[in-house]
Amino acid sequence: MIPLEKIPFAGTVPSPQTENEGMITGNWRTRRPILDVDKCTDCRICWISCPDSCINVSDTAPLTFNLKYCKGCGICNEVCPVGAISLVPELDFED
Amino acid sequence: MGVKKRISGCVATANAVKLADVDVICSYPIRPYTGIMSELARMVADGELDAEFVHGEGEHGQLSVVYGASAAGARTFTGSSGVGVTYAMEVYSPISGERLPVQMAIADRTLDPPGDFGSEQTDALCCRDQGWIQGWAATPQEALDNTLMYYRIGEDPRVLLPQYACQDGYFVSHILGEVDIPDAAQVKEFLPPYKNHHVLDPRKPQIIGAQMEPKMGPGMQYQRYLAIEGARKVIEEVHEEFGQIFGRKYAPWVEEFMTDDAEVAIFMQGGHSTTCKTVVKRLRNLGEKVGLVRLRTFRPFPTEQVREALSKFKAVGVVDNSVNFGISGGAGVLLTEARTALYGLGDKVSTVGFVGGLGGEMITHEEFYKMFQILKEVAKAGKAERQSYWLPYEL
Repeated sequence: MIPLEKIPFAGTVPSPQTENEGMITGNWRTRRPILDVDKCTDCRICWISCPDSCINVSDTAPLTFNLKYCKGCGICNEVCPVGAISLVPELDFED
Repeated sequence: MGVKKRISGCVATANAVKLADVDVICSYPIRPYTGIMSELARMVADGELDAEFVHGEGEHGQLSVVYGASAAGARTFTGSSGVGVTYAMEVYSPISGERLPVQMAIADRTLDPPGDFGSEQTDALCCRDQGWIQGWAATPQEALDNTLMYYRIGEDPRVLLPQYACQDGYFVSHILGEVDIPDAAQVKEFLPPYKNHHVLDPRKPQIIGAQMEPKMGPGMQYQRYLAIEGARKVIEEVHEEFGQIFGRKYAPWVEEFMTDDAEVAIFMQGGHSTTCKTVVKRLRNLGEKVGLVRLRTFRPFPTEQVREALSKFKAVGVVDNSVNFGISGGAGVLLTEARTALYGLGDKVSTVGFVGGLGGEMITHEEFYKMFQILKEVAKAGKAERQSYWLPYEL
């Protein structure tokens, strides 16, 4: 029995600021997103659309994908206006 | 203070929403509640009310919009009738479980089939277990006053629960009544701004309504149970305060009408009680010892207060203005709840269920006379031969 004081009010909890080790979802993937750096315009539509916040953007380097958690849903590929992201079958990779 | 006008329950509710200075309204048309939204739309368009007026894509959308808005810190308002109420069913529990004090006006309407616009309390009663505060207004004045009181009750930091402000379709929502519309200063004194423990804010990310494991389940539900039980005290305080500020003191739980030395009484909620009052008055003139107990708050159900009120009589006729097919007792919800309240008193009080006013038909004077006649016979016999009557076929 979880004591009543330990139950957060209305189940509201702070958003995890870091990764949640208790739920690794990267191994659910069957397709991996791959970036074509030359096509990318850094519009960041993919970053804002990723439901798992698995795209890392920076002002200095091309964007990268958080493969520990990326589930391979393909939304980034769908929304990219220039087709800079392609989905490659996971089986094509060694790791 | 205030302005006296002759307006319908819909317009009265809209005036209360305006006085409550609501931030976000989400509409979708369905008769008969739609009168509230058309009046609110006019108020927003004319600049009388500064609120975001969003057209939902459907009733499920309506509830989802106010759900998000309330989580972002807005005071919200929405409403529906009939099958619209049941279409949004999925969203009610999340809203109450996440302690967002949304208010939904329900001008009740029968559920399909057929496509009947008439009133029946079935639609709102379907939602009775969702953890929302709920009660019926029997007059346009009460519709206005309940709207204000429910915001105050629901937003109280000890409660933080959403509310269904119900009124009978057409009989209350569309028929005009004398309404004293309070002035904004009085409402400002009564209703403080909405403030919650959790507010969606990009600067302070939180998860409202997280996925949880079963082990959190009992505690989460118990927390909500404690909230609605804790609301009882707040409901009483708010009714007291309302009476002091606006001069209209409503009984928080049950309104007793001519029950002083009554031997039999009718127990019911909603607008049809007005018809019953007329019949009670006439029977009293004829020397009959009859009375009416009108339930004002349905959720949380005032078990103790109903028990106390009804235990005075030899026989009680419970009038249900809803269909609850297959229910224990063969009548409606109010009969089962009244009987539970009277549990332990044995045969002291006989109860009979009457299902009436279905489809939006009136419960006529004649039907009430017959009900009281039956109750008189039950009181004399000391028990009820028959448990339930479906009006008008079985009366």
